[in-house]
Amino acid sequence: MRRWSLVAGVAAAALLATACGSSASSGSGSTSSPVTLTIWHNYGTEQNATALQNLAKAFEKIHKNVTVNVVSQPATNYFALLQAAAVSKTGPDLAVMWTGLFTIQYKDFLTNLKGKIPAADFARIDPAALKWTSDRFNPANGPYVIPLENQFYIGFYNKADFAKAGVTSVPTDWSQLFAACKRLKAAGYLPFTYGNGGQPLGAEFYPWYDMSYMMIGQYPLSEWQKLYSGQIPWTAAANASQLSIWSKLKSQGCTNSDVLTKTNNLGDFESGKAAMIVDGTWDTQKFTSALGAKVAAFVPPFSSAPIKGVVDFSGDGLSMTTYAQHPTQALQFLEFMTTPQAARIINAAGLIPAIKGTSTTNPVNQEMLNFVSQDHMTAYPMLDNVVQPNVVNTGSKELPSVLNGSISPSAALASLQSTQGQLPASQRGTSYP
Amino acid sequence: MSTLTAQSQAAAGPTPGRGRARQPRSRLARRRRRAGILLTLPAAAVVVALLGIPVGQAVYYSMTNWNGLTATWIGPGAYATALSDPTFWRVIENNALLLLSIPFAIGIPLGIAWLLHEHVRGWRFFRSVYFLPTAVSWVVIGMVAVQFFAQQGLMNKLLADVGLGSLQTNMLAGQRSALVALAITFIWSMLGTNTIIFLTGMATLDPTLIEAARVDGLNRRQIFWRVTFPLLRRFVQFSFVITVISAFSALFSLIFVMTSGGPGFGTTTLEFFVYQSAFALGQFGTGALYGIILFVIMIIVGLVQLRLIRSEDGEGW
Repeated sequence: MRRWSLVAGVAAAALLATACGSSASSGSGSTSSPVTLTIWHNYGTEQNATALQNLAKAFEKIHKNVTVNVVSQPATNYFALLQAAAVSKTGPDLAVMWTGLFTIQYKDFLTNLKGKIPAADFARIDPAALKWTSDRFNPANGPYVIPLENQFYIGFYNKADFAKAGVTSVPTDWSQLFAACKRLKAAGYLPFTYGNGGQPLGAEFYPWYDMSYMMIGQYPLSEWQKLYSGQIPWTAAANASQLSIWSKLKSQGCTNSDVLTKTNNLGDFESGKAAMIVDGTWDTQKFTSALGAKVAAFVPPFSSAPIKGVVDFSGDGLSMTTYAQHPTQALQFLEFMTTPQAARIINAAGLIPAIKGTSTTNPVNQEMLNFVSQDHMTAYPMLDNVVQPNVVNTGSKELPSVLNGSISPSAALASLQSTQGQLPASQRGTSYP
Repeated sequence: MSTLTAQSQAAAGPTPGRGRARQPRSRLARRRRRAGILLTLPAAAVVVALLGIPVGQAVYYSMTNWNGLTATWIGPGAYATALSDPTFWRVIENNALLLLSIPFAIGIPLGIAWLLHEHVRGWRFFRSVYFLPTAVSWVVIGMVAVQFFAQQGLMNKLLADVGLGSLQTNMLAGQRSALVALAITFIWSMLGTNTIIFLTGMATLDPTLIEAARVDGLNRRQIFWRVTFPLLRRFVQFSFVITVISAFSALFSLIFVMTSGGPGFGTTTLEFFVYQSAFALGQFGTGALYGIILFVIMIIVGLVQLRLIRSEDGEGW
């Protein structure tokens, strides 16, 4: 009996020692011992990846004891990997997260930063950017994400191609767009290029850039929530009409014929073969490097009346996982992202910082900002970030076929409507979750 | 039961079965039985732990709204909701249409195997060529197929070269044509495996039977259909089983690489739908639900195949 008591005593002491040791090395309290902070991203080789790498290097210089391990995860199943890692608590300290309903979908393993980061740091961030990272899209509820940048879904056009084709003004509605297409075609240019942007596997082009502008052309911002709630059905005649006109871009020869299977559409634009492309700020630097002063931004005029809105939205940023091994350093990194130094690094990578009082030095990015600040266009969120992920998934599959002419607008919209109808009522309420 | 039968059974002694008094087992038999059970237990435990428990968990989670971290109970209504989803039925339809490729995935290799077995000129070379698809990763096959079926791909180039330019099409851009392209790639992927199965089967046949048929005056075609094919029945059945299982549950990599399930849901099979629900949308509960449905379908297909095989042998289940 005595021997058993002795064994139990030794075991208890060992357990206690282990517990004390592990709490001391958890990283949450110590700021001087060597720490490796892990960040996952899905940026591939885009300029966002450059910005993140440079932020990490700058952070390491300030915090000598911290090594930042920036891990590039495959974009195709990034969120699946993140979710699986959260189940086993083997994921990173910080992870790139998309904002809007993507954040809300994954918030179970994201830390609400309210009270974790000083209010003064939050105050430096563009309030419009913080809004879309919080419960019910109300910043007072606390953000889950510190935005990396302000992003635009935007059109890029080649000024030289326009000039040679005799297109003297940038189109602002459907009729002007089709007229410009006709001139560009006649001059031997491909007016619009569509494709999957060089993704390595056979995915189709992402239709939500265009869909955002079709819905901007149709509804004021205050109405967009009704697309989420179903008060405006996807099958509404107005939506079908917009898609129907959009599909004429291909049937009237304004696009390449292989819109579903083309992979080098970015190359077409960079080479000057194609005059227009709908893309985003993450490729601005690539286009300005290839085309110099020839490239400019324009608002895709997918509207019967002159278009009045632009997608200006902080689409992504960094979140701290609930199981982060080094929460102290992770929070320090997030705080660092709100500083002017971080803004300069983000700008240098060709992105638009989401920090108040900072600017962009890329002239094409500045043109985008001017759409809101000088032309007084309404800033809209990305439509795919504010409608249900299931609907986005169905749209990503069905909408490209509408442009291709393989299925009718009404069939595609019926599919979206059906997907939305399958969701429980809690996921299509009159307010965001 | 007829009187005669009853009398015969009475004469034969007590009726075997429930009414029969159980014979006492010897001590050795009891010990052997106990040892057998004990020795089986580890294997049974492994099967239950690695298969039974996960299947049970999947059944449970299929009736929940589960994101991998938290699960909210929905109940059997989850199945009703899934079965009322038109997209689900579209996916099942795709699976059914892909089954139409099975006769080709078996018939073409059977024909090739017969030609090789007949030792046509260059048969050794062609045997290696036809086995090639088996040695190549399905991901690579998918990548090559994308290039083959693309608008500027090899298929359209060949059509143009032989003066059939009017038939040029972008097969991967249409919902039905993409499914046909997928089916063709699947048939090609199965070519090597099925050819080898049939070649092996033909090698096991007794050559004297073929010789006897030839002496009886049968020509090559008649020998194939009347002698060779019936004797290959077991191999055809085996090939059928693995081809059907592949069509249901092994096409993921081809679909992922070639079409990502599109255009629309044109090439989304149930297997791919499971992946999309669970890993693209993060809805593991829904993924589990579709996984269970796929599991049940595979059980039914397996039982039907077992039934067909055994009934031809004159045995029941």
